[in-house]
Amino acid sequence: MAANNYRHALFCAIVTLIISFPILGFNLEAKGVNIELTGAKTSTIVAVILAAVAVFVFQAYRDSFMGLLGKLPKLNPLAGREPMEQSKRVKLESWVLTGIVVLALFWPFVVSRGSVDLATLVLIYIMLALGLNVVVGLAGLLDLGYVAFYAVGAYTFALLSQYTGISFWMALPIGALLAGLTGMILGFPVLRLRGDYLAIVTLGFGEIIRILLNNWTTLTGGPNGIGGIPEPTLFGMEFGRRIKEEGNTSFHETFGIAYSGEHKVIFLYLIALVLAVITALIIRRFMRMPVGRAWEALREDEIAARSLGLSRTAVKLSAFTIGAFFAGFAGTVFASKQGFISPESFVFLESAIILAIVVLGGMGSQLGVILAAIAVTILPELAREFSEYRMLIFGAAMVLMMVWRPQGLLPMRRIHITLNKQG
Amino acid sequence: MTTSLKKIVTAISTSVALMGVGHAAADIQIGIAGPMTGPVAQYGDMQFSGARMAIQQINANGGVMGEKLVAVEYDDVCDPKQAVTVANRLVNDGVQYVIGHLCSSSTQPASDIYEDEGILMVTPASTSPEITERGYELVFRTIGLDSMQGPVAGNYIASQNPKRVAVVHDKQQYGEGIATAVRDTLKDKGVEIAMFEGVTAGDKDFSSLVTKLKQADVDYVYFGGYHPELGLILRQARQADLDAKFMGPEGVGNKDINTIAGEASEGLLVTLPPSFDQKAENKSLVKAFEDKGEDPSGPFVLTSYAAVQLIAQGIEAADSKDPFDVAAALRSGSFETPIGNVQYDKAGDMKSFEFVVYEWHSDGSKTPIN
Amino acid sequence: MQDLLYFSQQLINGLTIGSAYALIAIGYTMVYGIIGMINFAHGEIYMIGAYTALIAITGLTALGLAWLPLILIVALLCAMIVSSSMGWAVERVAYRPVRGRHRLIPLISAIGMSIFLQNYVHLAQGSRNIGFPALIEGGFNFSADGAFEMSLSYMQITIFVTTLVCMTALSLFISRSRTGRACRAVSQDLGMASLLGIDTNRIISATFIIGASLAAVAGLLLGMYYGSIDPLFGFIAGLKAFTAAVLGGIGSIPGAMLGGLILGVSESMTSGYLSGEYKDVVSFGLLILILLFKPTGLLGKPEVEKI
Repeated sequence: MAANNYRHALFCAIVTLIISFPILGFNLEAKGVNIELTGAKTSTIVAVILAAVAVFVFQAYRDSFMGLLGKLPKLNPLAGREPMEQSKRVKLESWVLTGIVVLALFWPFVVSRGSVDLATLVLIYIMLALGLNVVVGLAGLLDLGYVAFYAVGAYTFALLSQYTGISFWMALPIGALLAGLTGMILGFPVLRLRGDYLAIVTLGFGEIIRILLNNWTTLTGGPNGIGGIPEPTLFGMEFGRRIKEEGNTSFHETFGIAYSGEHKVIFLYLIALVLAVITALIIRRFMRMPVGRAWEALREDEIAARSLGLSRTAVKLSAFTIGAFFAGFAGTVFASKQGFISPESFVFLESAIILAIVVLGGMGSQLGVILAAIAVTILPELAREFSEYRMLIFGAAMVLMMVWRPQGLLPMRRIHITLNKQG
Repeated sequence: MTTSLKKIVTAISTSVALMGVGHAAADIQIGIAGPMTGPVAQYGDMQFSGARMAIQQINANGGVMGEKLVAVEYDDVCDPKQAVTVANRLVNDGVQYVIGHLCSSSTQPASDIYEDEGILMVTPASTSPEITERGYELVFRTIGLDSMQGPVAGNYIASQNPKRVAVVHDKQQYGEGIATAVRDTLKDKGVEIAMFEGVTAGDKDFSSLVTKLKQADVDYVYFGGYHPELGLILRQARQADLDAKFMGPEGVGNKDINTIAGEASEGLLVTLPPSFDQKAENKSLVKAFEDKGEDPSGPFVLTSYAAVQLIAQGIEAADSKDPFDVAAALRSGSFETPIGNVQYDKAGDMKSFEFVVYEWHSDGSKTPIN
Repeated sequence: MQDLLYFSQQLINGLTIGSAYALIAIGYTMVYGIIGMINFAHGEIYMIGAYTALIAITGLTALGLAWLPLILIVALLCAMIVSSSMGWAVERVAYRPVRGRHRLIPLISAIGMSIFLQNYVHLAQGSRNIGFPALIEGGFNFSADGAFEMSLSYMQITIFVTTLVCMTALSLFISRSRTGRACRAVSQDLGMASLLGIDTNRIISATFIIGASLAAVAGLLLGMYYGSIDPLFGFIAGLKAFTAAVLGGIGSIPGAMLGGLILGVSESMTSGYLSGEYKDVVSFGLLILILLFKPTGLLGKPEVEKI
């Protein structure tokens, strides 16, 4: 057994060397007009060899390592505890959510402008992730092209404001409805496909919409994007230094205070916050309605659900449409925040990041999704010093998370009702 | 449940703590915003290297109005979303002058914020005409426009009396902008445009395009875009025996095109700003770059250098550190920089920025064509 | 005549790319057939194969080796060894621990692995496009009276022939060899196969190794054919190859071949007769249409719903 162990360990170490040495140990460099091969720094080579040795040692003594790890005191002292009672848990969760919202309301007034701006971005991601959570987490439909609906929302506002001069508040419902409608139209034919086929078809739709936006230069400006998208107004008051539209007054003049760019950033943040809260509440409502139960039923067992008389298409379509609707919501806010949009903001990686948020948060759980959105958006910002390694770490974190805690940060527990004991 | 509470509290408090940190304002801060990572990081390197050198040299000569310049660097990855975040952080950090951004699609949303917040911006690389079309007061550039470069190329091609010309672009802001300008110039001159078509940036297989060019029997092909795509088109065209002359903008004019296209890059025509590093008066500057182990020949190195220098000269001319005064001074004055004499028009574009047609050789050198 | 030549030229272009897509698609289709997951990182393994091949070629040329077939064979072997080790390691690290969990878990893990590998190569080799030397040059030219000349390069012939050889070898391997039989058994029913004494872990590893080796072959061939490589090009090619696999019916090896060829030809015809801007729209649109009318792909076995 032991010899076998060493053989396996040696094999693993050799594989480590094979996969890391050629790529890390040699550099292809352009010298003038030729490509030349140079050896990497000695430190790199030493690191590669050390890695191989580490793999060898770990694999050879894997069992004892694992044993040691098991003996360590549990990192989380609460891990072994009985799960909390359902009613208490739900109550606590809503308290925590309320607490977050209250905290978030006061937050912009104490921190710097950059943080508020970042927090707005986080809120946009929260909206997107909550919407995708309906599709993926609740209904179990794997959507890899979610960013398409986000793009529909953003472009609807941008185009309407460019051609008709519509305001943010008018565009918000229109953008969301159009995105929902797109979801419904796209969803209708594809939703009868199963699992992974659905994934690739939605991915295809996402790409098609992006390419169309990029190529339809006469309407969308193609790669030049659309600029000059207005910011939201507060009862006709604008937040810019100068008034852009006639008939509007400016915020700082109305209240007789000095102009400050922070007002605009904070206002946008508050709008995003309110919209995110609305999104969360509406989806929470849906989850408890028959349609929400139907989503989960269909996710858990399609055949059983159908034999109970649920219409597969209608249930799936409703999830898809609602998900798309909120993506449109988020898209409108995004367009307003950026003031300029172009197709390069709606690439596949964006869909992957939103999906990662949903999965990291624990599919189906709202609180988890919110925390994951915060983590995924803020961590790369904090790790700017390691900006070179940012995406590398992001990728590795996705894999490790799936291996070690696939249920996500805060997994959803089933909502169920216990019958009152008859006395 | 307490665990999640703890997590929330830690998450929030760390983010407050870490993001609230600003730079202590001292001296004159010059923000440099461009891609340090991502697919166009190599152009970002040029920008950072040029701007750092200018700051270093100006400080060595006693700074500006007795104060030192301090570089504050930001990475926007050339992503419009991150560019806005970066712009807000700049505002946060109290920076009043920015060198950047590099990509037009990042510069545009960021400039909205700078204009609103009274930050003076000089982009050393964004060539999209739209950036200065919006009547902004604080937006300048030290590079020519797509709409200046296109006509130079178009006029040159027209002067060669071609039978048919194909104009191809990479469906990106920069490439399509120039390609459109070239097409319009050619149309005005009555040259027959056989095709005007986009390819996908990042694509590798251009065999269908090359076949189409061959079928159309063109003798000139203009490509608006960057070297990775044109390099492959050149090489695949040579493989398929396509006999046509190729031409591109400054985005294709670097030695990487030689490593990709090899022999096929011989005879490629490129419109470039005159190579500032070849100018006699820049000899000592070029040497300073070379002493540092950096290459001054990239298209955005000296434009970034000039951008810093213009801000410094503008501050001195205005005798004020207020960006609005500096902007007014830049518009009214005339400044000597390594990229030549700079005067600004009302929009913030240079009154003259020359582009020259070069012939590229397979050893990476180039000769001007007159 | 002119038009016919033009059409045939575009057909050749499409078939060349299509057969390379097919080589990559094998990796997707075999893995899906056996463990039912989309190996999103497969495109990156193909990219690593291309990088290894280029490193080997540059190194050998620098050492003064001039005999072309030897350079190619050594480069191919290096690429295959590194890629297949990578495929093996990826499966062990990222997929085996999550096997059997909810279907989304391995998918996310795979997307994470794909991002990781892209950035791994990006950090090690830089992000710029690196030229790949054209080792096989020249070709046949066919011309009618008109000006248009159709050409069939030796490189294109090499790609056809290599793909054909690889596919034949793979089919023989799957149908005749002991491991091949075990592969088929595992893809029919993993649990049953393991009950019958087949080491399923071994077979799954073998699947990843085979897929990765074929991707490495494609990496070398396409690297030479295109002329440059960069850390991002695997992702796009992977997406296309995956589309090809689904188009032909995922899980089916002849399906992957057919799907690859259809995709390649439809792309080149779109660029040739419409515009290159729309070639991705057409290929994804084609995929959606085929799936709508034949939801398991062209050659896929119809899935029987359990009742």
